[in-house]
Amino acid sequence: MQSLPVNGYDMAYLDVGSGPPLVCVHGSLCDFRIWGPAIGLLSAKHRVIAVSLRHFFPEKWDGVGDTYSIAQHVHDVIAFIEKLDAGPVDLMGHSRGGHISFRVAQQRGDLLRKLILAEPGGELDATLDPDYKGGPSALLQRFTIAANKVAKGDIDGGLAFFIDAIEGPDTWPRVPAMAKQLLRDNATTLIGQVRNNRPPFSKADAESIKMPTLLIGGANTKGLLPKVLNTLAANIPNAKTEMIPGTTHPMFEQAPQKYSEIVLNFLAS
Amino acid sequence: MAYLEVGKGPPLVCVHGTLGDFRTWYAVLGPLSQKHRVISVSLRRFYPEHWDGVGDDYKMAQHIADVIGFIEQIEPRPVDLMGHSRGGHIAFRVAQARPDLLRKMVLAEPGGDLDNSLDPAATPGTPSAFAKRILASVNKVKEGDIEGALQNFVDSIDGEGVWRRLPAAAKQQLRDNIFTLLGQAHEARKPYSKTDAEAIRTPTLLIGGGDTQGSLAANWRVLAEHIAGAKTAVIPNAKHWMFEQDPEGYGRVVTEFLAG
Repeated sequence: MQSLPVNGYDMAYLDVGSGPPLVCVHGSLCDFRIWGPAIGLLSAKHRVIAVSLRHFFPEKWDGVGDTYSIAQHVHDVIAFIEKLDAGPVDLMGHSRGGHISFRVAQQRGDLLRKLILAEPGGELDATLDPDYKGGPSALLQRFTIAANKVAKGDIDGGLAFFIDAIEGPDTWPRVPAMAKQLLRDNATTLIGQVRNNRPPFSKADAESIKMPTLLIGGANTKGLLPKVLNTLAANIPNAKTEMIPGTTHPMFEQAPQKYSEIVLNFLAS
Repeated sequence: MAYLEVGKGPPLVCVHGTLGDFRTWYAVLGPLSQKHRVISVSLRRFYPEHWDGVGDDYKMAQHIADVIGFIEQIEPRPVDLMGHSRGGHIAFRVAQARPDLLRKMVLAEPGGDLDNSLDPAATPGTPSAFAKRILASVNKVKEGDIEGALQNFVDSIDGEGVWRRLPAAAKQQLRDNIFTLLGQAHEARKPYSKTDAEAIRTPTLLIGGGDTQGSLAANWRVLAEHIAGAKTAVIPNAKHWMFEQDPEGYGRVVTEFLAG
């Protein structure tokens, strides 16, 4: 793969197509390949640059060290866009990658033209959610158990525990083989994920996002993700929202044509 | 010629099949790149090129010459070469034409007909029933029926109803390459002969999915009987895209073969 040196790390990326640059940031336990279903359509109009964040595949990380964090990844994406030296870029992030993209937009609006957040991950603080309690996520204890299994070499055991904690008991055996393998290839990032240290979104954060922003969701996604999406959309000054019918969190895998059409229209407008 | 390169170690060049591209191997990049520098190419006219189907350089001979020209620029050589389906056919022909470029070869359900030196039932000069069925997709593309073309293609290979159940992500990757089918109608692919198979000197592993049906399941077993020293492996509970259905199992079989 191609790579750029950012903050002392060789950051790998896939660079496909020509046109205005669109930098794509994957979420937890994923890597540059997650955009595979959408890059065909997106790269017809854009230079699509799908990065793999520090410690994700193709790196085979041992989980040791404190360089897996939101702050580090935000820092890396900023340095990556600077090193790319292609002028202001469009930035698109999914899930945890949406959180990172949001923070990049907050800190370095000068680097971006437009922003796309596909079900960004994170929590809302008390300025955005009156029910906010603070403290660690209710799932953190179970994620820690999963991470410890991975650290001891029980990759599938750790992943099964993690996936079942999120999606319900006995989900792991039903995960398609390809999706399982992508998780395995990135399993050690789970060790970093439990000390992710992600501050919640605030009203002031959202109001500080100045560029045109598109929030995309799966119409069938449940829980916190749609709540965060809708709240951010209501508080980012120049935001649009699109929900894709019949899809959930990996909406661009489930409806690559519709997703790409929405993104291309937004970027062209 | 575009390619994706991942990992360190001896180079393993991977060639996708019909309607594939460098993304075909995504599922096994992790397992294979543990010990190898995996180089996944996109053949001429396939994505990331957005081809409209115009022009006459989508030929089997052109793709073989391209893979040879590509490997000639890789250091160090000889390389390991792996091909799936039509890409397996290409790999076979590269091994026939330029064994000096290859160390070992992996053919995953290589595509193509057998001539009557390998299959007494074959009629010289006539494509097999399976080849004809795949070509029916070409006419659908010409008529603008992209979804019909894709459905016929996938269901011809993996069975009726498989296209409908295929995840949207897999469908889109095939759809991104749909116009390459227009080239494939005139690609001039020759059937395998006994002499062709006996000419292969490269240590060869043939892999199939345990549940694949029809000529894609039969032909590699016939080739294996005539390639000197050929090894074989079956991936249980898998069909033609066996490396997507069992990436770990596939990766293990290939890595062991290449190490041995």
